[in-house]
Amino acid sequence: MRLKCSTAQYDEPVEQRDAPRLQLRDASVGYGGAPIVRNVSLDVPDGALTVLVGPNGSGKSTLMKAMARVLRLDAGNILLDGRPIGQLPTRQVARRLALLPQGPVAPEGLRVRELVAQGRFPHQSLLRQWSRRDADAVEAAMEAADVAQFAERPVSDLSGGQRQRCWIAMVLAQETGLLLLDEPATFLDLKVQVDLMQLLRRIAKQEGRTVVVVLHELNVAAAFADHLVMMQDGRIRAEGCVDAVFNAANLAKVFGLDATVVRDPVSGRPVCVPRVEPAVLHTPRIAAE
Amino acid sequence: MTTAGMFSRLDGPVSFALPLRALAVLGLLLGLCCVLLIVSLMAGSYPLGALDVVATLTGRPPSEMAQTVVWQFRFPRTLAALAAGALLALSGAALQNVTRNPLADPSLVGVSQGAGLAVVAAIVVWPDLPQALRPLLAFGGALAVAALIQGIAMRRTGGATMRFILTGIGIAAFISALTSAFLTYGQIDRAVSALGWLAGSVHAAGWSEAGMLAGTLLCLVPALFAASRPMAAMRMGQDVAVGLGLKVGRTRAALITLSVALAASAVAMVGPLGFVGLVAPHIAHRLARSGVGLHLALSAAAGAALVGAADLVGRVAFAPVQIPAGLVTAILGVPIFVWLILRTQARPA
Amino acid sequence: MIVPLERPGLSSLAPLLGIAAVSLAFAWHISVGARSIPLHVVVEALLSYDPALFDHVVVVDLRLPRALLAALVGAALAVAGALMQGVTRNPLAEPGILGLLVGASFAVVVVVGVFDLTSPTLIPLVAAVGAVLAAGAVWGIAAAAPGGAAPLTLILAGAAVMAFLAALVTVASLLDEQTFEQLRVWMTGSLAGAQNEVLKWALPWFGAGLIVALAVARQVTALAMGEETAIGLGTDVVRLKALSLFAVVALTAAAVALAGPMGFVGLVVPHAVRLLVGQDYRRIVPWSALAGAGYLLVIDVVARLLLAPVEISTGLVTALIGAPIFVWLVRTRL
Repeated sequence: MRLKCSTAQYDEPVEQRDAPRLQLRDASVGYGGAPIVRNVSLDVPDGALTVLVGPNGSGKSTLMKAMARVLRLDAGNILLDGRPIGQLPTRQVARRLALLPQGPVAPEGLRVRELVAQGRFPHQSLLRQWSRRDADAVEAAMEAADVAQFAERPVSDLSGGQRQRCWIAMVLAQETGLLLLDEPATFLDLKVQVDLMQLLRRIAKQEGRTVVVVLHELNVAAAFADHLVMMQDGRIRAEGCVDAVFNAANLAKVFGLDATVVRDPVSGRPVCVPRVEPAVLHTPRIAAE
Repeated sequence: MTTAGMFSRLDGPVSFALPLRALAVLGLLLGLCCVLLIVSLMAGSYPLGALDVVATLTGRPPSEMAQTVVWQFRFPRTLAALAAGALLALSGAALQNVTRNPLADPSLVGVSQGAGLAVVAAIVVWPDLPQALRPLLAFGGALAVAALIQGIAMRRTGGATMRFILTGIGIAAFISALTSAFLTYGQIDRAVSALGWLAGSVHAAGWSEAGMLAGTLLCLVPALFAASRPMAAMRMGQDVAVGLGLKVGRTRAALITLSVALAASAVAMVGPLGFVGLVAPHIAHRLARSGVGLHLALSAAAGAALVGAADLVGRVAFAPVQIPAGLVTAILGVPIFVWLILRTQARPA
Repeated sequence: MIVPLERPGLSSLAPLLGIAAVSLAFAWHISVGARSIPLHVVVEALLSYDPALFDHVVVVDLRLPRALLAALVGAALAVAGALMQGVTRNPLAEPGILGLLVGASFAVVVVVGVFDLTSPTLIPLVAAVGAVLAAGAVWGIAAAAPGGAAPLTLILAGAAVMAFLAALVTVASLLDEQTFEQLRVWMTGSLAGAQNEVLKWALPWFGAGLIVALAVARQVTALAMGEETAIGLGTDVVRLKALSLFAVVALTAAAVALAGPMGFVGLVVPHAVRLLVGQDYRRIVPWSALAGAGYLLVIDVVARLLLAPVEISTGLVTALIGAPIFVWLVRTRL
């Protein structure tokens, strides 16, 4: 599937298919009790950067966990290359789809190269241990994520942004066509967030991989997404290319946010500015978000 | 670039430089075990020279007495100590990897106590119990405790590391009290035989114990090393491991069962030796950095050396009184445990 | 922790009912034994003692001291536990879990066993010194750990100190079997062996500890809401902590001198009391004393009846009941 409206040209996905590789069909999922995500259908566009946004508790992380088969569906289907993801052997899934969960913690003392090498796990077996191909994939992943210069340092010594890049290198080393990242930018400085998103966009555009990211920061999402999905209360409320979706009406509907959407004169991307009540008297007040 | 695994081809093992330092340390530790073995064979109320020991071992005993002392008593006992140390160290290393918890230790979280309770209960209730059934009972008890802790501590999502340990400490206290109650209730002479065993002592170990320990070691260790790759993935956390294509639930259950089996077989033969499973993997880690597989080997060697040394010290320090090796390992292990606490960030959730 | 301090519905009758219940447990404790004595005879013996009656002699000379002991030890440990939980803001704090009991009994064992000092005068003092040292070690380890003296770290440090001292005691007992044979039962926490002489010398410690505990209770309520809050409310936190430590140590020392290490009493009782009277330490402390006395009286009866004629150490029963509650608290509170 090609995007209907786009701001840039993408490389063709290596494998041309009629249907997108990852499809959700009426998927419902939760943690045992009432489902948190209800009847969600979504076609994830191939070779593009898809961003999931939504207020806290809207179910975006839950949905991502379901897409990565960490959570089992209560109802509906998630199709990977046309087959229900739950029916595929988990190792085969891991060769096509990689997940970076929220706030991963590396074992103490683990070095960057060792962390990235873990990404080769699904390509190895008892009989097929470490090979030249694995080594090449690890080097390439470290190069792509720009962590090669830390290769021999313990992960725990690095800064938050550097550490997150190491984890991204690990999922890159998995050499999958699909990458799912759950809030990779949370708790990072704005500059680091932007660097990280640039890296992810490069991965989608230059390598033609399909990247899905859960994000918190609305303007970062608007600046980088090819395809934006807004979730609220376990459902998808708006979906499409940024220009079509990122507007004041949707922000009010999904986030309850009273904001003006303006256009960044440099990139042409939309930016939201929360509307602030003018100050009354001499007491400075911050308007409700 | 898509499913790259399809182009998998075997170019032979390459890249990662040989972990020379780790291999050297492993050699040193194994050498230390050999030295400990020789010294253990020499020391005691009937002291022997190193040459006498070597002569006895090679079938030219200097005297009848030397033959008996070495082959009947000291050799099997020392072998049992070394094997038990290796088993407990491997158990601890596996447990630490699976639970992602640097403080996990079979004796701290009640797994050893569970094995102990099962055996004591059997000794008290059913005195004619064949010795051979002990490992099975111990395994059953230890597995029950491990399942209990997992069930209680792991139910809520998220980093259950500290909760796992605290739950284990509580359960260990409960089981210890239950064991003491059994000892009070049981007839005194039987209780005394159980009591000696509970302190964690290898002094009664003969060839049958040593043989059984060595047998377990040979059976379970290959399984553990085969599991070292999934273990490495488990160390990254549950969600990451799922993403990497690991069957997490099954792998965790299998590895914990394996870890429990290792600890239980050691406990069944020589009683609970405290803190070995905690300390040995950390010593291995400090001595040389290495991947999971080599780390297991280093841990086993360190554990063997630790218990071998503890047994020797306990035997010689206050001779003729023998201090059970379990007490020596506890006294040595606690400071290291404290050091670990000082380095571990408490993460309540 | 935001909890209403006042708890309506607990009428002024409640203290009377509580005292009545504990008195009943007290009488029941005395009536149970190798020779069962009816409750009314127990009451008669206590109110109008007649030395000519055999049952009266049994009650007053043999069983009354043990019942008193159980009540005192239970009250002391429960109050110590309540104070520790309040001051450290740690729901799992308790003299046993944080190593005070082991420290105190280790000191007693060393002094009795190694220096052969058996004067009952000094035993509470020795126990107190041991408790202070152990508390200092546990607190020192936990405070030096990253994240400070967090609940989890404190308990791990307690477990470490406990394992270490327990191993040392076992080594000492192996080296000198005769001396330690008599201490073995005491080491598991028993109400059976205490002499009246020790009781006499432990009483002042108990009294002093209890009075200080009652005096600081109001400020502990403030401290339980957080150190900054307490300072904001005008509490001298350092002085309060010092006084609380004194009370805890005095009570622990009295309990250990009388009955050896009796685990988990200080954990179970205050939590049960909190369920009934709320979070105000002005209520928690006196109620813990009362409930602790009643609790240990009942436990001691159970320990004697459970496997009769064999008597289980009371400390084992408190552990069997307390450890599951500890696990439950870990599961729900952490």
